[in-house]
Amino acid sequence: MRVIILSWEFPPRRVGQLAGYVKELAEQLVKRGVETYVVTYHDFLTGEYEESEGVKTYRVTNPVRTHIGVLTWVLTLNQEVERAAANIYYKANKQIDLIDACDWHFIQAAVTLKKAFNVPFTYSVESLEEHRSHGANSPFNMAIKSIEWLGSYEASKVVVKSEWMRDEIIRAYKVPIGKIKVIELKSRTRMTEVLETYKSVVGGASPQ
Amino acid sequence: MTEELTVMMLSWEFPPRIIGGISPHVYYLSKNLAKNGVKVYVVTCDFPGAPQHEVVDGVEVFRIDSYKNPSPDFATWVYLMNINMQKEAAALVNRLGGKVDVFHAHDWLVANASVGLKHVFRKPLFATIHSTEVGRRNGVNFDYERMIHETEAWLTYEAWKVVCCSNYMVSHVRWAFALPEDKLVMIPNGVNIEEYAGDENTDFSQFRRKFALPREKIVLFVGRLVYEKGIHVFVNAVPKVLEKVNAKFVIVGNGYMREPLLKLVKAMGLAHKVMFTGFVDDETLRNLQECADVSVVPSLFEPFGIVALEAMAAKSPVVVSDTGGLSEIVEHDVTGVKVYPENPDSLAGGITKVLLDKKYANWLKKNAYKKVQEKYDWYRISQQTKSVYEAVLREYSKSFWA
Repeated sequence: MRVIILSWEFPPRRVGQLAGYVKELAEQLVKRGVETYVVTYHDFLTGEYEESEGVKTYRVTNPVRTHIGVLTWVLTLNQEVERAAANIYYKANKQIDLIDACDWHFIQAAVTLKKAFNVPFTYSVESLEEHRSHGANSPFNMAIKSIEWLGSYEASKVVVKSEWMRDEIIRAYKVPIGKIKVIELKSRTRMTEVLETYKSVVGGASPQ
Repeated sequence: MTEELTVMMLSWEFPPRIIGGISPHVYYLSKNLAKNGVKVYVVTCDFPGAPQHEVVDGVEVFRIDSYKNPSPDFATWVYLMNINMQKEAAALVNRLGGKVDVFHAHDWLVANASVGLKHVFRKPLFATIHSTEVGRRNGVNFDYERMIHETEAWLTYEAWKVVCCSNYMVSHVRWAFALPEDKLVMIPNGVNIEEYAGDENTDFSQFRRKFALPREKIVLFVGRLVYEKGIHVFVNAVPKVLEKVNAKFVIVGNGYMREPLLKLVKAMGLAHKVMFTGFVDDETLRNLQECADVSVVPSLFEPFGIVALEAMAAKSPVVVSDTGGLSEIVEHDVTGVKVYPENPDSLAGGITKVLLDKKYANWLKKNAYKKVQEKYDWYRISQQTKSVYEAVLREYSKSFWA
């Protein structure tokens, strides 16, 4: 299996805990024989490409330097993520089984790649805008929510870390329960569950 | 290349959605490319009452759900709208089995979608730059403006060729984004001659009476009533023209200078000689342009100057200020009269000359019409565009993407 993970944070760039989770996930996948790529933000910390513990990491930087907030920053960064992911796709002879989009930032890229290449994606939810913004509903929050909704709508599976989050995303975005997979971080069978989830969606994005 | 050259145009506006000049530009360009045997798909924003998919004059138009929630600001809306545009366009290219040869973007408003599509499908990207943030704002001063400026720069960086509508815009865009010279192509804007193909013997006397007395010549201004259009120069030229010719000055358009201009005209005692019509419908405008004895474009700043072309297509002699795109459209004493910008004496001199010398006026309009046919006809412009696509595709065929 060949997987591309999209995450806006990845060591050495750490914003919150997501960076650590993604790194561990990627390394565990490699150990289980999955060819694993990570596309993440460059932030001038490292070079463009790095291979460590078998994880192939591509880092991109924002083509638009000046921004008025995190939302516009994310929205112009997505095309670079698409470029890096497309390069992986073509180098791999168009054989990418799955994209795993971690949190909302690169959902645009995941959706476009799905529409273009019929590569399915999972949306791994770290947190939701509703909780992050404490119920604020300005146009800014609404925009991020609309992206989270798009991710939950277009994803083949939505992966959450707790039953509480499962219920929250059902409430917030009306995601059918059968589409959600709860995989707890501490679960001993975590990687088996991740691989099962991945396998269940491979080949699942039909042409449209 | 597929058997038939296939282009996907991305534009935030397409008729019936008309916000500015990009909408008619993309419409006429696409329609005439289709006439030239190019398969054209237009992906654009939705509009109330317009279908999601339709074929317009041989062009396949797809309208996407533009972002409808309240948006923090215009630029953020643009980026959010591009999520949907890119997604729908990607699905469309996929349905077509990847059979698209070229993506053609119009302005930064579709930068995100088109740059992403270029890399995902590995096809060459064209960008037509109709206007720039640095030109619109006369410099970039705030982060918001700088972000738009950098988005424009990003689009021109990613484009295989950058198309501008005048030599003036070519040099402006080259300066604004520090582009290499061979990346820029000048393909003029066009005018749809057929719309003006009225019978030369059409009797306008009834129509004319609504605007002027039978003995008055009609001097026409069409444009937004804003400073850079030089409408104040036009008003100041009125008494100087009236010293020599009996004429009515018809001003079509609206803008923030309307009230001050009305006051000025009244104070000059010329209220009976200057008529402000406000906005008029397309047919009235065309008729006015066709029966005007002279059309005046006194702009101080003008990237292209489409209104001069329209007048030339309507067989009305033109007097324009020698600036920006107007300098290129008009050849002095051949296809029109060029006058010094911001100079009412020079402007009045030009207008008077055209009004008093009928032979000269006829000579100008005959040459101008021929010039429009030769250089500014959409069919020819689409041919030029097609040959640039073909040249780029020849280069592309040697690249590792092909």
